[in-house]
Amino acid sequence: MGSFPFNPDDAFLFESMLKEEDRLIMETAREYAQSCLEPRALEGNQQGIFHMEIPREMGELGLLGVTIDPKYGGGGASYTAYGLIARELERVDSAYRSFMSVQSSLVMFPIEKYGTEEQKRKYLPKLATGELIGCFGLTEPDHGSDPGSMETTARRVDGGWVLNGTKAWITNAPIADIAVVWARAKEHPDDEGEIMGFILERDMPGLSTPETKNKMSLRASSTGEIVMEDVFVPDANVLPGVRGLRGPFSCLSNARYGIAWGTVGAAEDCYQRTRRYVMERTQFGYPLAAMQLIQTKLANMLTEITQMQLLAFRLGQLADEGRVTPAQISLAKRNNAGKALEIARMARDMHGANGIVGDYRVIHHMVNLESVNTYEGTYDIHGLILGREITGIQAFVPRGNDLPPKKKPAPATTR
Amino acid sequence: MKLCVCIKQVPDIQAPFRIVDGRLQFDVERHVLNAYDASAVEGALQLVEQHGGTVEVVAIGPASVSETIRKALAMGAERAYHIEADPSGWDSATVATVLAAFFRDRSYDAIFTGKQAQDTDAGLTGTMLAERLGLPYVSNAVGLAYEDGRLIVTRQGDAGREIIELTLPGLVTISNDMNDPRIPSIRGIMQARRKPVEQLTLSDLGLSDDALRPQTRVTGYRPVPPRAPGRKLEGEPAEVVRELVRLLREEARVL
Repeated sequence: MGSFPFNPDDAFLFESMLKEEDRLIMETAREYAQSCLEPRALEGNQQGIFHMEIPREMGELGLLGVTIDPKYGGGGASYTAYGLIARELERVDSAYRSFMSVQSSLVMFPIEKYGTEEQKRKYLPKLATGELIGCFGLTEPDHGSDPGSMETTARRVDGGWVLNGTKAWITNAPIADIAVVWARAKEHPDDEGEIMGFILERDMPGLSTPETKNKMSLRASSTGEIVMEDVFVPDANVLPGVRGLRGPFSCLSNARYGIAWGTVGAAEDCYQRTRRYVMERTQFGYPLAAMQLIQTKLANMLTEITQMQLLAFRLGQLADEGRVTPAQISLAKRNNAGKALEIARMARDMHGANGIVGDYRVIHHMVNLESVNTYEGTYDIHGLILGREITGIQAFVPRGNDLPPKKKPAPATTR
Repeated sequence: MKLCVCIKQVPDIQAPFRIVDGRLQFDVERHVLNAYDASAVEGALQLVEQHGGTVEVVAIGPASVSETIRKALAMGAERAYHIEADPSGWDSATVATVLAAFFRDRSYDAIFTGKQAQDTDAGLTGTMLAERLGLPYVSNAVGLAYEDGRLIVTRQGDAGREIIELTLPGLVTISNDMNDPRIPSIRGIMQARRKPVEQLTLSDLGLSDDALRPQTRVTGYRPVPPRAPGRKLEGEPAEVVRELVRLLREEARVL
């Protein structure tokens, strides 16, 4: 039996399983997040500001595209390192992790994996330094969990493609210099078309990115639409390496991997703040921490967090061995985002009235995690992905309950 | 300018520790670069960035010290020396003996150390090392400049700041108040893997067990006793102040 004192921040000593390099990268991300992001987080949330110095700061430290090949300006580090960075950023605010996830997994990743050599040289180094900001357009106003039915089209024209459609809920869209957009590409107007990826640039005529206002969650993250009205995209900006939904899904797997890690940080922060609070807050003559109800809640939080840490760690090992599967990522994203949200809600409750106030930061995590539990595959959709893996039966589309053919909506009647 | 910074790996003070039967228990796998030494590395890097030169680092310890060495290399040091040894039970004088043996056949313009280490807070090694090497030295430095082949060191003294001109070669122990050590970039961390780390043993340095026998030893640890609760004076301001002055004079005897 060891004689070490129990570490209530790392109960199963998962950080000591990390490789030296990954732990140093974790320390860098932690020092940056705590010294540079934490002081801005409350203002960012309350005023709805994404501080525009942040991309360059992250770029300078190499936190953007950490798994990308160094010859394109990336870090060349492990997936575990990427996950550890996500954990440290989300310990402060899911919005900052979202920025990094989109830039790294949804913009740099597809360009490196599916782009041409010219595209990689043109975009990746500047995305790595934060000189360029990217966004990723898949979701549409009427097509969230079911992106396969997207309405955005790309029509073949001489020398390129013309894109029309609207993408919604796009992190970074209002501040982005480039957008990786997925559209149904048709060589001829009568084709069914297949999904292809395009790199759009800010100054292309017909492109606009209106901001999504009045968000109550992820307020320090800039969210908007990508509206395309006859946007001409030259052939040089087509991602040649992939056709079909496999393209965007591989990007999402990458980003969901980061969320499985990031949410560990948010949950840890909620739990640690709550632990400090209940030690100090006195009611009925005793600290709250002396109450049985409080203690079992803390025990439940720590137990869940320990499982989240170990799940993320093992997911990282599998990713670094090149063995990770989308189903494993779904399981981890679903579990960790869902558990983090429950922990944040519990932390909010244990802070009593103070839990409503932003300075205690737990309600901040709580409302952020509502988004995180929904985006990049909702909790329930990941349940269906796993259900299909377990049973071999897809349940996304209800079977045996075929809907009547679509009728034109009846004209409104007045009595 | 050729600088060498002595760095130490210390237990992470953020991690929990406890004292049981006069012995200290902590998670021996959680360790970090001593924060004062990080400031010393930063101070050295800033000097060579302004005036040219190289920064090297030296550390004593078991294999796990490689992580701390890599952190200093990731910050920007160019080369490292790892003196492999188990320093548990050593005192500051033993460390100074080993470092003195290391520096004897090497030449540097200046040697930097942190002003103390976060684990022992003894603050003796730098001073003892300067004595062993017969070098002029300044302790508790909060500012550094290089002019005409000399270091201009600003030292935090008891009464105020002292500006001291140090002829080289010399030794400076550096305060954490001098700077905020840079955060190593991912590129720095990845490139550190390719920087040279020379492994040395105590016998490479010609040190016998006799030379390493510590002169002092820690006999036990005791927790800091909890502070007695303060006393709150209530009433009209004029009365309270009168009572406070009386207590300070008669009970605390500080007036």
